[in-house]
Amino acid sequence: MAIKSKQPAPIPMVKDYIPALRRSMLMAVILPGVIVSIACALILLATHALPADNIAVWIIALVAGILSSGGSMLIFVHATLPMNDLLRAVAHVSGEPLVGAVPNPHDKKYEKNGLGTAIQVIYSLDSAKEPAAIQPSSKKTETAVASIDRMHGAVIALNPSRTIIYASKSAPLHTVEGALRPQLLFNGSDSLDAWLDECEAASVKAERHWRRIPDRPSDQEEQRIFDIYASYEKNSSHETVLTLIDMTEEYRADEEDLNFIAFAAHELRGPITVIRGYLDVLQDELSDVLADDQKELFYRLSVSANRLSSYVNNILNASRYDRRHLNLTLIAENLADIYATIADDMALRASSQNRFLTVTIPSNLPKIAADRASLSEVIGNIIDNAVKYSNEGGTVIVSAALHGDFVEISVEDHGIGMPPNVTKNLFQKFYRSHRSRETVAGSGIGLYISKAIMESHGGMISVRSVDGEGSTFTISVPTYASVAEKLTHDGSNQQLISEGKGWIKNHSMYRG
Amino acid sequence: MAIKTILIIEDDRFIGEMYVRSLRKAGYDVDWMIDGNDGLVAARNKPYDALLLDVMLPERRGSDILQSLRGNGEDMIPNTKVVVLTNFEQDAESRLAMQQNADAYLIKADITPRKLLEILKNLET
Repeated sequence: MAIKSKQPAPIPMVKDYIPALRRSMLMAVILPGVIVSIACALILLATHALPADNIAVWIIALVAGILSSGGSMLIFVHATLPMNDLLRAVAHVSGEPLVGAVPNPHDKKYEKNGLGTAIQVIYSLDSAKEPAAIQPSSKKTETAVASIDRMHGAVIALNPSRTIIYASKSAPLHTVEGALRPQLLFNGSDSLDAWLDECEAASVKAERHWRRIPDRPSDQEEQRIFDIYASYEKNSSHETVLTLIDMTEEYRADEEDLNFIAFAAHELRGPITVIRGYLDVLQDELSDVLADDQKELFYRLSVSANRLSSYVNNILNASRYDRRHLNLTLIAENLADIYATIADDMALRASSQNRFLTVTIPSNLPKIAADRASLSEVIGNIIDNAVKYSNEGGTVIVSAALHGDFVEISVEDHGIGMPPNVTKNLFQKFYRSHRSRETVAGSGIGLYISKAIMESHGGMISVRSVDGEGSTFTISVPTYASVAEKLTHDGSNQQLISEGKGWIKNHSMYRG
Repeated sequence: MAIKTILIIEDDRFIGEMYVRSLRKAGYDVDWMIDGNDGLVAARNKPYDALLLDVMLPERRGSDILQSLRGNGEDMIPNTKVVVLTNFEQDAESRLAMQQNADAYLIKADITPRKLLEILKNLET
């Protein structure tokens, strides 16, 4: 008995749609034309509008028919071609055999009208299948490589196992344990590897950038400083692509500015030292002979000189902060000891402007992790503000309390206060409210640098204010016990404490 | 240990005179050197109870002087309290290096002679 062999059902193919597409387009483009022409002809004949016995009419009609059919064919070809190519591209990606060349996304006409991008997208869905014929010519690759090599910076690509699979000519690389690695000095734990760990754990696609990352220490002459843009795409063959922009010249100019500011500050501080010093000496030595109003003048001179000194400190800190050079030494400190270093200044500032300053710092507060000079500047800044923006005879209350792992220091005044639209901009550099510009001297740098210093402590600064009723500024500093572990020596004496800005290195000197 | 003899190494004449005047008035025995080399020689030759050291100095910087006196694993002035007094904002590394070898590190513009006397008193205990 003959067994009838059963043919397997044909697998549906993308390219099978192409003839169907042709047929349907043909019908859609030509048929309406033919129907309309015949209808017109019938109407004309029926209404005797045309002399049917004149041979010339028939010839003209025939020519018109041929021309319009030709035109329709052209439209048909033009309309179906892109669709045809898209389908062929899909068919190619899906692995179907095709007769003739596959559509080339780099074809001139496609690059012109943009269809090339669509075809490229289809191919990129399965980039492995992109045939050699449609890859950019080797000449193009050469041009691309040469162009990247000429850029002011570098490109580095890493595969999922973080091996370098491409690095442009000027990429900073070095060998670590036999493997080539990017040579970049990230700040502490805010490194590329740490970010990639995070990405691997939680991201499919991610991007981030780092600024001012040197390839080697600043004492080496060849040092370059980069801004780095990283792009991560999970499990792509080039999972991580780093674009490094060489910013050495720009940042070096910054360093020179910083040096200038440091020298300028040195020059300013010299005379301030002498003025403050002799004012202090004279007040002391002349205390028996000076009349009360003359003493008052001395106080004003002292307060002014002190403020000048604070302002120089603010400028120095702000310029360092802006250039990412603000380094704090966080050690175990007593808040009361820190306040003691500025207590006299603050008392004088308040009294010389007829404000009552009350300071209550409980003696049983735990030690805080603080940079003494910087924190005293912050406290000085906010007390100075409270004095400036309160009323004659007003009270400024400084208090401190433990809240969880933080010691909070509040400075409360009952002065002019601020509306909410002012408080939200308050910590921006050079911000001054319209009202304060008119009535109170200042530059808007104090709160900006105060915020930077507090964040570098791993703490914060905040404000509550009621327009017309007064403001309370609160700063919080972590207790030493809560961050001691993070501040533990690592031998190099460098630790990162602040996550807030990432780059702030803490050079810790531990005594407590 | 009570502080009686003090060496000041300071190149700014006004600031140097100001400190000398206040310290002498307070009863201290004060020597004052203007340049870094003379300062280092003086510090080596006579055991002072306290050394007030500027950083930006002619001939030899304060950081070098401190390094020569206390660096290299040997303390040539074990009985001297060293107070670094500077108006120059050093980079963190240099500052830290000096802080580790000094008993105090102060910005001159932030203190007055009266404060300095308090600080010296505190260093005695």
